[in-house]
Amino acid sequence: MTRTGRTGAVLATALVAVVLVILVGPIVLLAVFSFNDSSIIALPWEGFTLEWYRNAFSDPDVADSLRNSTVLAALIAPLCVVLGTATAWGITRFRFPTRGFWSGLVGAPLVIPWLVMGVSGLLLFASLGIELSLLTVGAMHVAVTFPLVTALVSARLVRFERTQEEAAVDLGASQWQLMTKVVLPQLAPTLGAALIFAFAWSFNNFEISFFNGGYEQTFPVWVYSVLRRSDNLPVVNAVSTAVSAVQVAVVYGMWMALRASSRRRGSQESLTDLVAGGLR
Amino acid sequence: MTAVQEVIAAERAAPEQRRGGWLPAGYLSVPMLVLVLLVLVPMFILFLISVGMEVGRGTSVWSLDAYASILTDPLYRKVAITTIVIATSAMLIQLVIGVPLAYVMAFKSGRFEVPLLLGLVVLDELNPVVRVYAWRMLLGRNGIINKFLESIGVIDQPIDALLFNQGTVIVVLSTGWITYTVIPLYAAMKAIDPTLFQAAADLGAGWWTMTRRILLPLAAPGIFVAVLLVYIPLFTDFATPTLVGGTSGYMLGQAVNDLILQQGDLARGAALSNLLLLASGVVAAIAFRLARINKLEA
Repeated sequence: MTRTGRTGAVLATALVAVVLVILVGPIVLLAVFSFNDSSIIALPWEGFTLEWYRNAFSDPDVADSLRNSTVLAALIAPLCVVLGTATAWGITRFRFPTRGFWSGLVGAPLVIPWLVMGVSGLLLFASLGIELSLLTVGAMHVAVTFPLVTALVSARLVRFERTQEEAAVDLGASQWQLMTKVVLPQLAPTLGAALIFAFAWSFNNFEISFFNGGYEQTFPVWVYSVLRRSDNLPVVNAVSTAVSAVQVAVVYGMWMALRASSRRRGSQESLTDLVAGGLR
Repeated sequence: MTAVQEVIAAERAAPEQRRGGWLPAGYLSVPMLVLVLLVLVPMFILFLISVGMEVGRGTSVWSLDAYASILTDPLYRKVAITTIVIATSAMLIQLVIGVPLAYVMAFKSGRFEVPLLLGLVVLDELNPVVRVYAWRMLLGRNGIINKFLESIGVIDQPIDALLFNQGTVIVVLSTGWITYTVIPLYAAMKAIDPTLFQAAADLGAGWWTMTRRILLPLAAPGIFVAVLLVYIPLFTDFATPTLVGGTSGYMLGQAVNDLILQQGDLARGAALSNLLLLASGVVAAIAFRLARINKLEA
């Protein structure tokens, strides 16, 4: 028994180690070679340099694409949290005719391929004669991102202790008081997580930005178009490393905050938010 | 639980008989307007264009020519087969690695459980195009592996076979999506009572019996949710095959892109998009159905 237990442990460790190397290895190498003093991304190591970072951040295309993506995500994330939360509340707490249709419509962007969403958005704007820009990208991002917030928030609403809500309604709280004094404070950690995930979903989105952006590039579209035109470039390594470092820091920071808040409240819910949000 | 499971759960929660009058409209009108304008209307336009009715150009002859020409063209049949082979192999690889990985995370990782989970979520949040690029940097003609093998004298010509073929697309897609596969599997396994394994072991069951009789049946809803979440993006992907696929890895997503943006053939591009949408609907319906049936049995 102990022997099979030990073999199992060895196999388990080996599996986790191999998967981690395969998943993390390429990203680590990407980062390492962003500091290599050579325009060819390969060994031998030619020495440490920050030249690629200097080049990257003085390149107007890089600056534009990063600014576009950041501004877009920063505007879209809060908007999606508002729309997504209102939808979650409306659909989980009320029964009304046509409810099934609307909740199906909210679910649709979760299964429609982003490629099809991107193409259909392009054809919509072309048919209406609307010029493609960051605005059209932003509109489509909102349509695919807020249903994900709805999924995250309704999960929490379904697990809620309803007693406080019911007590508030029985004691004559207005809808506004119910929201601001009872519901939203309890939802706060989930909404915080949703805000960060919505930012990431918009920032990372490639297909929809690609089809609906016209001449305005977001960061993923910039990476894609550089790689289509040319071979691998150390400048791409530098920008990608910088962006990834920020993303890792943000997710880690969010996790620490969620854990702190669930410890304060004495619940184990932070993990669920993390798991649910981890699915794009 | 995963986003999709959450939606299913929310849908099936004990109905609340609260009559809100116009309140639900207050909460829902703006979001639903967004969805009607930016999801329903575009889908309708996509459909109109695919049957030859171009909005704003006054053409008004219905025809299924675009569908017919795609469905009878041997080129698209070949691309469809390549796409199915790539997406299905990538899905199977992810499940074969993902099921044991999720099992280890859920039951055997002890204090590493939360860090591992956090690691998966961090990987999810990294930019997918950047992750594809990282592979291209490793496997390319002038990539790290080729240059390294050349420098130590194992090869004197770069191995082109590393990049720009079907196998590379399968590997890159599998590594890109496996985090999305593992998370629902993990969530489903977390709900299994670990004493079941102990009881089975005490009764003399081997690991294979336990896997077949306990782990797989109880984790099945998670497997179907993983397929629902991952298989659809896999067979509609176009950035990955464009960046690492070459000609033997040409997929349907690229065909849609080429028809619409390169050739300006909107009707056929829209028709192919609709066929992909139809296929996604079939995959989603099957996965939902299976996930639900299993939940009821469990």
